[in-house]
Amino acid sequence: MEASALEAAAAALTILLEPSRLAVLGAGVLVGLTIGVIPGLGGIVGLALLLPFTFEMDAYSAFAFLIGMGSVTTTSDTVPAVLFGVPGTTGSAATILDGHPLAKAGQAGRAFGAAYTASLLGGIAGAALLAVSIPILRPVILYLGSPELLAICIFGLSMVAVLSGKAPLKGMVAAGLGLVVAMVGSDPQTGTMRWTFDTLYLWDGLPLVPVTLGLFALPELADLAIGRRSIGGGVRADTRSGQLAGIRDALTHWWLVLRCSWLGAALGAVPGLGSAVIDWLAYGHALKTEKNTEGFGKGDIRGVIASESSNNAKEGGSLVPTIAFGVPGSASMAILLGAFMMHGLVPGPRMLTDNLEITYSIVWSIALANVLGAGLCLAFSNQLARVASIRIGLLLPVVLAIIFVGAFQGSRQWGDLYVLLGFGVFGWIMKQQGWPRPPLILGVVLGEIVERYLFISVGRYDWAWMTRPLVILFITLAVLGLVGPLLRNFRVAMTQGQGLRIVRPRLTSSAVFTSFIIAALLVCIRMLVEWNFEARIVPLAVTSVALLCAVLSLANELFLQPATRASQASSGPRGAPTDPPAASVAAQDNPRTVLSRAVEFFAWCGGYLVVAKLIGMLAAMFLFVTLCVRFWGREPLGRALLLATGVTAFSLLLFDQLLVIPWPQNTLGGAFPALQPYLK
Amino acid sequence: MGRTINLVVTACAVTITLLAAPLSLRADAVSDFYAGKQVRLLIGYSAGGGYDTYARLLARHLGKHIPGNPTVVPQNMPGAGSLRLANFLYNVAPKDGTVIGTFGRGIAMEPLLSGEGTQFDAREFSWLGSLNNEVSICVAWHDSSVKSMADLATQELIVGGTGSGSDTVVFPVVLKNLLGVNIRLISGYPGGNDILLAMERGEVDGRCGWSFSSLSSTRGDWLETEQVTILAQLALAKHPELPDVPLITEFADNDNELSAMEIIFARQVMGRPYLAPPGIPADRLGALRRALDAVARDPEFLRDAEQLQVEINPVSGENVDALLERVYGASAAAIELAASAISESGGASGAR
Repeated sequence: MEASALEAAAAALTILLEPSRLAVLGAGVLVGLTIGVIPGLGGIVGLALLLPFTFEMDAYSAFAFLIGMGSVTTTSDTVPAVLFGVPGTTGSAATILDGHPLAKAGQAGRAFGAAYTASLLGGIAGAALLAVSIPILRPVILYLGSPELLAICIFGLSMVAVLSGKAPLKGMVAAGLGLVVAMVGSDPQTGTMRWTFDTLYLWDGLPLVPVTLGLFALPELADLAIGRRSIGGGVRADTRSGQLAGIRDALTHWWLVLRCSWLGAALGAVPGLGSAVIDWLAYGHALKTEKNTEGFGKGDIRGVIASESSNNAKEGGSLVPTIAFGVPGSASMAILLGAFMMHGLVPGPRMLTDNLEITYSIVWSIALANVLGAGLCLAFSNQLARVASIRIGLLLPVVLAIIFVGAFQGSRQWGDLYVLLGFGVFGWIMKQQGWPRPPLILGVVLGEIVERYLFISVGRYDWAWMTRPLVILFITLAVLGLVGPLLRNFRVAMTQGQGLRIVRPRLTSSAVFTSFIIAALLVCIRMLVEWNFEARIVPLAVTSVALLCAVLSLANELFLQPATRASQASSGPRGAPTDPPAASVAAQDNPRTVLSRAVEFFAWCGGYLVVAKLIGMLAAMFLFVTLCVRFWGREPLGRALLLATGVTAFSLLLFDQLLVIPWPQNTLGGAFPALQPYLK
Repeated sequence: MGRTINLVVTACAVTITLLAAPLSLRADAVSDFYAGKQVRLLIGYSAGGGYDTYARLLARHLGKHIPGNPTVVPQNMPGAGSLRLANFLYNVAPKDGTVIGTFGRGIAMEPLLSGEGTQFDAREFSWLGSLNNEVSICVAWHDSSVKSMADLATQELIVGGTGSGSDTVVFPVVLKNLLGVNIRLISGYPGGNDILLAMERGEVDGRCGWSFSSLSSTRGDWLETEQVTILAQLALAKHPELPDVPLITEFADNDNELSAMEIIFARQVMGRPYLAPPGIPADRLGALRRALDAVARDPEFLRDAEQLQVEINPVSGENVDALLERVYGASAAAIELAASAISESGGASGAR
């Protein structure tokens, strides 16, 4: 860094350390932490909420407030991820994989300690990377054209292989399904309505929030409901000592923290590549590069560290295109861009020269917010870890009720609730059958950007885009990453000597599920043949590959030796993120009990939807919590009512009063318009 | 003498009071209705875009200009490129003036041009007007050989576009189809700013469909240093700051083409339109329209608008009504020409 830059950095810190600005930063951090804990709410909501308050502030305070908020949502989102397996924001889905098993083993404290420390270090590392790269930001970004961005996204997609563990075929199918989900809606090239079934809801595509909550949160909650015991399973929760152990874990693995945070910061700068995939890419990176990864997915602390350090570092990275070029990489950055304009700051070269102090104050805000956020979380994690020992009959209804309203934040339409429930059921079956879920979410997020940049690259450069040096590099890495694990699996199967022996076909539940997916893919293909060429070509390629993999997978299940099948499905070495075929809680139980309890769980969820449609979401929430605690949890009625009142009052305050959600129409309100304002 | 004057004055006062009575009575009815109430301002897009910025700014100031001073609460109700909100306002929302909304400027012409998914008659809405009248432009980057519309007859201009239905896609497609200009559209960029970045790095040569006010506020230096050449204005009337740049309608070859262009670029006049459901009581519609007009003159509002760098040049609700009458009254041939010129660009959905 040049001397002038150092001076600007120092001046910015002095300005920011003024008590009034620190207080504003602290307030932002508190809001951010709260938003992070509540599933469905992310940084965008917070920014839209806080922006009006910054009208009267000076630029330094305004950014301290907004960025203080935005930087720490990914710190506190760990809380529900570890405790309930529910991602607090879309950025902590990967934390669940190891964080939640740790909580189940009574080590919630350790998971928290490691997660917050990783978040803290990651956030600072991201800010530091931003700080030192400020002088070279513009040339670097100008060098990265659409072909390069495409190659980076394809490389990200190739992580599917690592994240599929020992079930590469199923992983490919899952990724393909994710890509299909990504392509639902109005096609960016021709405006063709793809797989929208004449429903307006699907025009804009499926929103990420209910998809993520359905895919990751509901299956975990279903298994908790099936297991019918407290999360900690009666094991005495580690509190203070566990936390210290967790902090030590994160410090021991400092090199992993650093790698994952730089990865997070760099990927954060790619427009469209939000926190929903960055945690998975970091997790995949850890799986790929760390030694002895057998324990990943069952409570390896490194899984938590990788995910948490990357998603906090992202904030620094995603500011890069916003500050240097005025190109917001995400919706929340677009709001932040509005804040820049409001304070007369025009993003672009001048942010790196004339307004360098502001830019550095932003860097410092990220760093300070991360320190404050992690500190606050650590201070309270002692109490939070004890939540794991609360009876499930009390806890589950409350968490579920919040998830319903949280999922509705996706696009504030009824469809969000259907998506939540649909993906919940689908995700639970995937989990039961040993299908890896991360590839699906990777497909959902990356699918859209890959298709966009593919059309731009081919449209602009024909096939010459593939000859650019960085493109060659990333695509080679992607191919190696994808083919390597496939070959390795094939070799393992061969050397076991029982690989390709054909046996009499047998019909298992797993084969039925695979057949169902094949049927669904066939329907998708049947629909797409009618679209025009540009709208059809990418979906056709994706569904065809997915279909091929699904058929191979089915053949594998039907005809191959059980021994091979078992090693395909279960998690052996490097097979970590695949859930074991029978979920751990259910292992000792009779499959019929598991199924009937699962049906009961999803029936409760479905019941909520029906009642909400009749009398409104908040009224239904009150009813749902009361009935669920009383009859499912078998708790006394008084306690049930108390709990229901508390949750509903909280939701009324937060969602209705503070966030002014437009609640969906309900039947009763439709019949009696006078009642409508009271039925939320 | 004094007495006569007194008499005259009294008579005048009585007359004025009598004349004004119905007016004030009416205002009272409106203010009685709105007092203590909440008016919801529904935004057809999610937080963070241009429609959202304008609407939230309006919501801060609108309440004090509506009789009875209701609280105005902005709510995002996104879906189907704001078409969902149009359908909602037409069919479901209460028709009492407690719900108003803002949706894509192209939506009103959508039933005429494609009609897919539309469940409304645009002329029936209670149009309140707009805070701005959008003038978009076509620009070429300085190292492109295209310096004027005339150059487009012989040389190709590669322009970037975002998604189907957005201005950056609709406008180039329309120019290509109606005027036969040599424009090659590369669409798929995530946002308008991404196109500008692509222009800076030489991936595309220009952008067709860029609000001039946004150019001045975010890339003013590009104008000063002549980084871009403005080729044409895409609107029905020229921007006051651009007297020498030709208006796109000047390039029409015949009346039919001119009329088709008017149908397509009418959306520019609507800017970011505000409206209430059809059939709200006339006095409340009048009060809401005057409130919007008053906001646009309110110094506090203008100060906020300047701070946010959003352009204010108001269009009244009556103007929007008249515009829609004209557009919907165009000849069948012109409508068909416009519809076919716009067809491959995905209509109005998707525009932010």
